[in-house]
Amino acid sequence: MKYTFIFLLILSSDLLSQKKYDFIFTKDKITILNHDDSLEKKLYLYNGEIEEDLITSTTPILGKTFFQEDSLHFTPVVPLGWDRIYTLVYNHSITYFKIPIPKNYKKLSVEEIYPTSSKLPSNILKWYIKFSNPINRNNVYDYFHFINAKGDTLSRAILPLENILINRDKTLVTLWIEPGRQKRKLIPNQLLGSVFTPRENYRIIISKNIKDSNGVSMQKDYIKSFSIIDADRSKPNISQWHIEHPKKESLSPLIIKCYEPLDYGSVLENINISYKNQIIRGTWELSNNERIIQFLPKKKWKLGNYQINFNKTIEDLAGNNLSRLFDNEIDNTEDVNATNQEHILEFSIY
Amino acid sequence: MKTLITFIISLLFSFFLQKAQANTYLKSNFKTGNPEISSIHKMTFGPEGILFIGDSDAAQIIAVDLSEHPKLDNSKVKLDNIDKLIADMMGTTIDQVQITDMVVNPNNNNIYLSINHSSGIPILLRVEENVLKQVPLDNVSFSKVSLTNPIDKEAKDRRGRSLRKWAIADIKYTDGKLLLSGLSNQEFASTFSAIDFPFNEKQESSSLEIYHAAHGKYETHAPIKTFIPTTVNGTSQIVASYTCTPLVVFPIDKIKQGKHHKGKTVAELGSGNSPVDMIEIASEGNRYLLIANTNRPLMKMDFKDLESFQGELTKPVVKKGAAEGVDYVNLPYVNVQQLDKMGDNGFIIVQRESNGNLALKTGNSWWVK
Repeated sequence: MKYTFIFLLILSSDLLSQKKYDFIFTKDKITILNHDDSLEKKLYLYNGEIEEDLITSTTPILGKTFFQEDSLHFTPVVPLGWDRIYTLVYNHSITYFKIPIPKNYKKLSVEEIYPTSSKLPSNILKWYIKFSNPINRNNVYDYFHFINAKGDTLSRAILPLENILINRDKTLVTLWIEPGRQKRKLIPNQLLGSVFTPRENYRIIISKNIKDSNGVSMQKDYIKSFSIIDADRSKPNISQWHIEHPKKESLSPLIIKCYEPLDYGSVLENINISYKNQIIRGTWELSNNERIIQFLPKKKWKLGNYQINFNKTIEDLAGNNLSRLFDNEIDNTEDVNATNQEHILEFSIY
Repeated sequence: MKTLITFIISLLFSFFLQKAQANTYLKSNFKTGNPEISSIHKMTFGPEGILFIGDSDAAQIIAVDLSEHPKLDNSKVKLDNIDKLIADMMGTTIDQVQITDMVVNPNNNNIYLSINHSSGIPILLRVEENVLKQVPLDNVSFSKVSLTNPIDKEAKDRRGRSLRKWAIADIKYTDGKLLLSGLSNQEFASTFSAIDFPFNEKQESSSLEIYHAAHGKYETHAPIKTFIPTTVNGTSQIVASYTCTPLVVFPIDKIKQGKHHKGKTVAELGSGNSPVDMIEIASEGNRYLLIANTNRPLMKMDFKDLESFQGELTKPVVKKGAAEGVDYVNLPYVNVQQLDKMGDNGFIIVQRESNGNLALKTGNSWWVK
């Protein structure tokens, strides 16, 4: 989204010269209108309010200067920030300016946190935070905290990855709960215990200080409260899932009731439905605290036999997938033998 | 006059030599233009000044020809408050920028820093005479390859937004292959891939199993954090470190499509820590492994100790936080955030010093003599 209508706000100007210039300031470009062709085609932009005697020792902002249609333009390598003071040096004069945040700007907010349930197993492995705007992913772990009922922040609760897991449009962040603490008998688990304790209450807090890609913060902290139940030590079992058949010649949804919350990030792209060996097109959704998988077809259901193919990597909230437990005992060979098993449910429409 | 003719001939010769060099076998499929890089998370240099860029956002690897940058003497480089300097160059605050990687071109000692700005626009900087300069990436000689597995099925939610994310943890080049490790948001799993270079359609992935001595059980799912291809006892091996710190060795030729391989755990460097980077440097006929860490100092391991280590760690480490396996020493460099080799036996670091200063500087090569 571009805000090219932003106009200049000059705080003070012309410390070295009395000549006035017409500027247009936007996040992506600075324009000096009616540039006198006899003047040097250069301008320098600095971060912050730089005093005159410090300018020569200050590193300018990276960008390109070019002349076009009687105007001199400067495009920074990355967009300028809103509500920050910049120092512009042009033709021996200094101009300080700020670009205000547009009044209609939709500020960053948390749209959803997965899992959506407020009762979670103590060995929960992943959280997904969905934001309204693309976020600044730098140092992002500073803004996520788990708090216990006493108000203490849980230490070493989140696995900090150097390269954060965020989707391509930078609106969905994946947080791993420290796997070394969630797996039994591992040293972090023995040293610090599980991150969460059954029958205790917690909150996840996303700090209002997190910023979007335009450098604008949230307006208030986002808080989700949840309570912890016993650990989930069993794999999702599709044979116990219930299919509600859609009606023939309709666009009605296929509904799969799973009876336990599934992991938001691993489900939707790991299922397909085939009809006469052709994958049918449509949209998958999760609902009812991720206990129900729903498929909305693009075309009406035809009579016949259908096959639902589940990828083994579909997980429950504890990271147990269809083939193996996340927290498996060394001598348990059952899972090793199950890794090549296909996971298929069939249904027919008459 | 004779001198002038000699000079002109020399100029012409160097011009044609440069042209010939620019079109070597490795760069034969390079083209000039904008490679459309979405992000720079990891970098590594290959031969002939080719910089490989790991672009997690676009799930691609880009090879960029940077051989024309001049040879530099960066042996005295020192840039203080580099985070503030970079933020000023981007016109923003420190929290809006992050150094995602640092690499040195072994051919000419140019130091490169990849920067992520909050806007998502990736920036590549080069150090010349203690000054940071931008390396424009919109008109370069390049080739690139898409990473097939991570984007096979780009799932969308009901608002059409993608869910899947695959992050490159590390990339390295060796003998016509680009090796990379990564982690997805779907499964806590270790994937390791080998991609032919010059790029073609061939990509092979393996899953790796290790024995996690600090954890006391088979840890089949931990992702590799950093690694180097090297030679151990005369054979080509990968030395890898994980999100926790077991050091694992496995043969490069075991990376086969769809195969599962168990690595040999040779050291446990202490739990509660995560490796950041590792390099191999040679000095006076000895080879050393340097490992930078999140919660431990810079470690130095002698390859002779690594090669003579006969066993394999298969029992849990009993003493809390203790190290076991191949010996190492701690060097007096803590909070090293970036590490790379400089010259034949030097190293360069980005270090958060005790006074808060984030400094780009050379390490003292005395420690590796």
